[in-house]
Amino acid sequence: MASTQKTKPSVLDRPLSKGKSEINLSTFALLFSEIVQYCQNRVATVPELQNKLSEMGQHVGVKILDIILIRERGFKREVKLLNMLLFIKSNVWKSLFGKEADKLEHANDDEKTYYIIEKEPLVNKFISVPKDKSSLNCAAFTAGIIESILNGCNFPAKVTAHWHKGTTFMIKFEESVIIRDKAVEGR
Amino acid sequence: MSRQIGRSVDPKKVSGELFTLTYGALVSQLIKDYENEDDVNKQLDKMGYNIGVRLIEDFLARSNVGRCHDFRETADVISKVGFKMFLGITPVVTNWSPAGDEFSLLLENNPLTDFVELPDGHSNLSYSNIMCGVLRGALEMVQLDVDVRFEQDQLKGDNITEIRLKFIKRLEDAVPVGED
Amino acid sequence: MTIFNLYIFDRNGTCLYYTEWNRRNQSGISKEEEFKLMYGMILSIKSFCSRLSPTDLKDGFLSYRTSKYKLHFYETASGLKFILNTDINAGNMRDNIQQIYSNIYVENVIKNPECKLGQQITSELFQTKLDDYIRSLPQFATKLS
Repeated sequence: MASTQKTKPSVLDRPLSKGKSEINLSTFALLFSEIVQYCQNRVATVPELQNKLSEMGQHVGVKILDIILIRERGFKREVKLLNMLLFIKSNVWKSLFGKEADKLEHANDDEKTYYIIEKEPLVNKFISVPKDKSSLNCAAFTAGIIESILNGCNFPAKVTAHWHKGTTFMIKFEESVIIRDKAVEGR
Repeated sequence: MSRQIGRSVDPKKVSGELFTLTYGALVSQLIKDYENEDDVNKQLDKMGYNIGVRLIEDFLARSNVGRCHDFRETADVISKVGFKMFLGITPVVTNWSPAGDEFSLLLENNPLTDFVELPDGHSNLSYSNIMCGVLRGALEMVQLDVDVRFEQDQLKGDNITEIRLKFIKRLEDAVPVGED
Repeated sequence: MTIFNLYIFDRNGTCLYYTEWNRRNQSGISKEEEFKLMYGMILSIKSFCSRLSPTDLKDGFLSYRTSKYKLHFYETASGLKFILNTDINAGNMRDNIQQIYSNIYVENVIKNPECKLGQQITSELFQTKLDDYIRSLPQFATKLS
């Protein structure tokens, strides 16, 4: 239907940027703040809000994964679980936030669960959570980014953000991922 | 082998890609949430307005720019200080109306639209419409009632992206009830 | 030297925030009433100044001093008004108020999606940061004799 006579230039005609472009933190903070408010107006509960933010994050994750793999890895992806996690802690974090994540830990009591810990996530910098919503952690957005990157690399997992030592991203892999990883390690 | 990209770590800056993709996530969410693209444009404008009324405070706090004497000065400040500060670009100010109450900002590169291509069937969508709202909201806070719209958009095949600003009126400070 | 209290008004005259430190005398009227009087007085002084000097306003009205206290006024181009009352020995507080505006108000209220504009500020982060800042000032040095 939309028959524009003008020829649209294709994004593919342009070279991929080197990823060095930067933008004022305030611009991002205000945009993110508007996104949080928009989501808030469309849901009733804190978990729903976090899901919505996570969905938005997933949208970002899919794309940033492509960009990083093409730019830094020559299209190769990680196959081992630990390397995959390190890739997120280091490469992904640096591209998105300009630094590595503070910590990566393995749960003592559950081999499927890992934690990435960030003392002060970028997205929470300006958000002071009111008492009646004390469980709300807007880093659910970042959790969504991590989740979609893991899924995109074929490490299906569920990622959630929690208030613990700053913010802790809890990564729960599916059973199959752990079994596969053991098989890979065993070889 | 991994090549690490060397983004300088300035605590007042964030990755341009994170910003662009986050905005993209917002627009596609809106397209999902609203049936009609005119409503998406309206929502973007509204969100932009909300951002604008806050952004102006950050702008005033950081730029040390005082009140402008005329609309031409305002245009210059928007481009050279405002856009520069918040989006890292400096649009060209041009196409002044004879009365000096209307001008255009020409954007060579729009940071909101990196990686973006409008699929067919989105001819009504004004992808970067948030910018109109931001400008409108920010200017309203400094007592300027201004009409802002996209005149041309590279996403729609135009050679350049053009935002048109039209001065409507000066707003007066409200005097509370019961005061003279 | 000491600092008595602080009012923040938005452009519509709503008192966004009020807090006091070493205020020893109360006005004896409700806070709402007091805010209205304060805002009204500031508007009157402003209009008085602009009538005295209609062409070159520069920074406009900055402060006044009585025998008991000194009132410092700062207004942004967006119409936010900050009013800080100190004892009469405090010097120029303009830079300090500017600091409150740009580093405390903008960072913790403007960028916080939980703070609705045009409504009273309830953010705890803002309150603590502001309190810490005021208490750290040399002008605050409390010798309540």
